[in-house]
Amino acid sequence: MFSLRLPIPLEKTLITSLPKTSTTYSAYSGMTRFQVCHRYLSNSITKRGTSVVAFQDEADGEIFVDEDFLEVDPLPVELQPELMPKHVAVIMDGNGRWAKMKGLPTSAGHVAGTQSFKWIVKLCYSWGIKVLTVFAFSMDNWIRPKVETEFLLNLFERSILSQVEECKRKGIQISVIGDTSKLPKSLKSMIANAEETTKENPKFQLILAVSYSGKYDVVQACKSVAKKVQDGLLHLEEINENIIEKELETNCTEFPYPDLLIRTSGELRVSNFLLWQLAYTEFFFNKKLWPDFGKDEFVEALSSFQNRQRRYGGRH
Amino acid sequence: MNFRDGAHNLYHIIVAIGYLGLQLLWYFLQIIVSAWYYILIAGNIFESYFISYGVLKKYKSLHIGKLQYLAIVIESEDAHQTSKVVKLLQWLDSVGVKNVCLYDMNGVLKKSKETIFQTLKNAKSIEEVNEDVTHHAPDHMTLEFVSYVDGKEAVAKAANLIFVKNFKQHNIGGVLDHQISLEPHLNQALQIVGCKGPEPDLLLVYGPVRSHLGFPAWRIRYTEIVHMGSLNFMRYGSLIKAIYNFTKVRHNYDFPKASSQPSTRNK
Repeated sequence: MFSLRLPIPLEKTLITSLPKTSTTYSAYSGMTRFQVCHRYLSNSITKRGTSVVAFQDEADGEIFVDEDFLEVDPLPVELQPELMPKHVAVIMDGNGRWAKMKGLPTSAGHVAGTQSFKWIVKLCYSWGIKVLTVFAFSMDNWIRPKVETEFLLNLFERSILSQVEECKRKGIQISVIGDTSKLPKSLKSMIANAEETTKENPKFQLILAVSYSGKYDVVQACKSVAKKVQDGLLHLEEINENIIEKELETNCTEFPYPDLLIRTSGELRVSNFLLWQLAYTEFFFNKKLWPDFGKDEFVEALSSFQNRQRRYGGRH
Repeated sequence: MNFRDGAHNLYHIIVAIGYLGLQLLWYFLQIIVSAWYYILIAGNIFESYFISYGVLKKYKSLHIGKLQYLAIVIESEDAHQTSKVVKLLQWLDSVGVKNVCLYDMNGVLKKSKETIFQTLKNAKSIEEVNEDVTHHAPDHMTLEFVSYVDGKEAVAKAANLIFVKNFKQHNIGGVLDHQISLEPHLNQALQIVGCKGPEPDLLLVYGPVRSHLGFPAWRIRYTEIVHMGSLNFMRYGSLIKAIYNFTKVRHNYDFPKASSQPSTRNK
């Protein structure tokens, strides 16, 4: 549970006292989590400009550095930790146009997009967001050229394969929603393995919407309800919106309703993504193409979210 | 000792001056950012007035044909201002937008329906129009009034209707086995429970929050969503600009978008 100790205790390094920044998302009982961005030197380890997370035991004041939290990005000063959205959804749009602008093949755009994706996962993880849902592949995307869809799914498979163990180590739970019946067997198997491997003790949940559509989600939820009625688990007169909501694929998370939806590339639509779940979600449309969407743009989105007055009409 | 005390005092003075300098710099930056923010707001207001008075020529001709069905979401608190809602509809009528869906979460607009129809002489309710609203002759406005109950609750009612019907016919197995066919059943059932309107091409949100506030989710798969600010500060120029931008921008759909009918498109 507690972190590894450095060879030289931190009391003897430049970090002598740690400013308290936030305790709202401490994952360790009895410890206060800090975020420090210091350069520190020791006789055996040199880490320059690395952001670390250090923990101070509330009982005896001893300081530890958790290796698992190395390279965490500190929260920008313009963002307030208590106003961070719990669930952020992202429509990663614009890879193809980005590649076209650069004179590159479409595949290059998708590869560049994966870097932005990894970056946003890291930022969400670092800044206390509980759930990130990304629209990786829409049901509508199946009409794209077969070469492109095969490349995308292959890229997706390789990305999961390379990240599963690290996600497990960092407490990132991977969940996949969508109609997986059309996916290649190897990918289906990879998804099942990733979900099983990462399901324990999640500090952060990453939901990947693959072959997903909001309408499909509602339809499959209705089908599940119908099955329950057929099996005698439910009566017809009990069917209401709450019953349907419980059968949506986003019931895999404690926070199924996104607080913030970000869409890149300047399109102003939700494109059949999480239709049911977006009733009270704040929309942030950004003109940047997805491979160009980085930390600054994400901070802008979060800052905009935090500055808005949110109302739920008494139906949240 | 005196030298030491003097050095100590000098150090404190320098620190204090440095701290004051940083504070002044911070306030200066805040002023710059606030000024830029107000300049942007003023710019938007002036642009809106220039559009209203026809100064900006590019907004003079709108190709309304692309906008077949418009939805307007209004915060329920603002929806009580019936005169503003009527004014908004009159603006839309004047630019040629004839098919409008009005939504507020609590159904305030539904209660104001009679007043609105009395004020707008040439408007009809969608229930009165038999043919596809996107194809009727543009001699009158067609208005649809929608609230929260027409969204998720309507889907639940539609699902219930299907299950009841199929259980009576002992055919629930067919519904379960063929998930794809359930979608057209749901579309038909939604029509039966009263959700007749097509999918809007454009949805304008009047309110403080950039959210569609529970507009029927089934109908906004590919709808463009534009936040217009509070209804209290609605401007004709901003409305024209939003419609103009919709008609001019190339929409990057992943499929050929069908007409705005509740459809089983996108197979």
